[in-house]
Amino acid sequence: MTGSYHIVVVNATSKYELDIKRNITILKGDSATGKTVLVDMIRDYVSNGPDSGIMLSCDIPCRVIDGNTWEEQLSPINNSIVFIDEGNRFVSSEEFAHYVREGKNYYVIVTREKLSNLPYSVTEIYGIRGSGKYNDMVPVYHETYHIYEEYIRNLQAGECITPDVILTEDSNAGYDFFNTIAHNNSGNIECRAAGGKSNIYGSVIHAHDHSVLIIADGAAFGAEMERICELIHSGADLHLFLPESFEWLILNSGVIKDISKDEMEHAENYADSEKFFSWERYFTHLLTQNTIGTPMAYSKTRLNDYYRSSNITKRILATVQGIDFHYESRV
Amino acid sequence: MLSIFYGEMKEAIYNTSVYFKNTFRNEWLEDPLVIDMIKDVDNSEVLGNGAIKSPVLGVIAPNTLSGGVKTLILIYKQPEKVFNASNCGDNCAKWLLKLGDMMDITINLRHLMNFGDGEYEIKVLDDNMIAHNRSELLLLAGKYL
Repeated sequence: MTGSYHIVVVNATSKYELDIKRNITILKGDSATGKTVLVDMIRDYVSNGPDSGIMLSCDIPCRVIDGNTWEEQLSPINNSIVFIDEGNRFVSSEEFAHYVREGKNYYVIVTREKLSNLPYSVTEIYGIRGSGKYNDMVPVYHETYHIYEEYIRNLQAGECITPDVILTEDSNAGYDFFNTIAHNNSGNIECRAAGGKSNIYGSVIHAHDHSVLIIADGAAFGAEMERICELIHSGADLHLFLPESFEWLILNSGVIKDISKDEMEHAENYADSEKFFSWERYFTHLLTQNTIGTPMAYSKTRLNDYYRSSNITKRILATVQGIDFHYESRV
Repeated sequence: MLSIFYGEMKEAIYNTSVYFKNTFRNEWLEDPLVIDMIKDVDNSEVLGNGAIKSPVLGVIAPNTLSGGVKTLILIYKQPEKVFNASNCGDNCAKWLLKLGDMMDITINLRHLMNFGDGEYEIKVLDDNMIAHNRSELLLLAGKYL
């Protein structure tokens, strides 16, 4: 399934608007913001159509599943946006992750739990906020906002940081790239690999005496955000650099020709959820396919020396805002 | 005292909204503390006879209260049971601390609730340790989530 979908749900008291463009979207935040009301309205519309008194606008069907019979409900659903309210234990199960991995639908999940089985993006975790008041003769308008906005954007908005340590998610090509930069820094920056995104929290929990830059795939880092942001709040000198993925960083730098702007800026139209569990895999595929058989051939397991060359490294780093790697002056 | 078990807890009542719907008693709405919780979390006013006035939804029944305040009421009214308090947002945290000051309650959390930047005493049952502030709670709870 591909595409971006604008959903409008309205009844006499409430109006919701939201845009869904990836296979997994999370709704969380304070109580009493209207998350359950949204799911209930969609459920009523699915059961009764316009007779429900609800207007629902979306280019594809919206569905709701819940309870212990969720698999029976989900099995026949295709090419739909499936809503799941909080209180459904199955959302953290491997069985449910299997259905999401099949990619036949997009899922909007109301939960505050960390769903480690699912690779959801840091940018697809939303809260809901309303404006207006009952009795205003118009429904109270509800819209979504990014829960982790300040942490995702802080490198662009804040002062330029100079990390002591770069911590990458894995020990593959991304680590190779940033480790090369660290080596060119005469020991001023150390690069470490966490050995998986779930190990990042344990690797930085005592990082109060040096500045750590965490570099991870934003497209799949959603489950880790709560603990890491809480660490930042507690005073740890941590900074987050969360591009969609390392492959996205290379593609976005323009060092690979023949990548269309649309494939990058509107990945939702290309990253078929039946093929790619997350956009991180889509960008890996895009980079690999467009460099195969060339001197730039990309392998995720080990970085091609082409990408370590001074010229290419500078071009990739030039697209990174808010971080001083001290690279240019050393090579 | 407020005691928290972090992570998967099979015996905890997970879907608190369904449990609330089937165990709710009208007299709960006569309790001043319940009335205050509803006012604070849902910004709604208890009118009496099971009716509540919501600023968004108009006059509603108790089942239409937010999942967070329904869970708070259950924790308060049935302290012998353990409920999944991850159905509560951070705007419920001060009420959990208040209930913990009044009585012994145990809740299950599957996320890092923000209990604020003040001092408190929360027992983390996974480690049988007491956290006194946000940083201590993170150190104790973080490894179980």
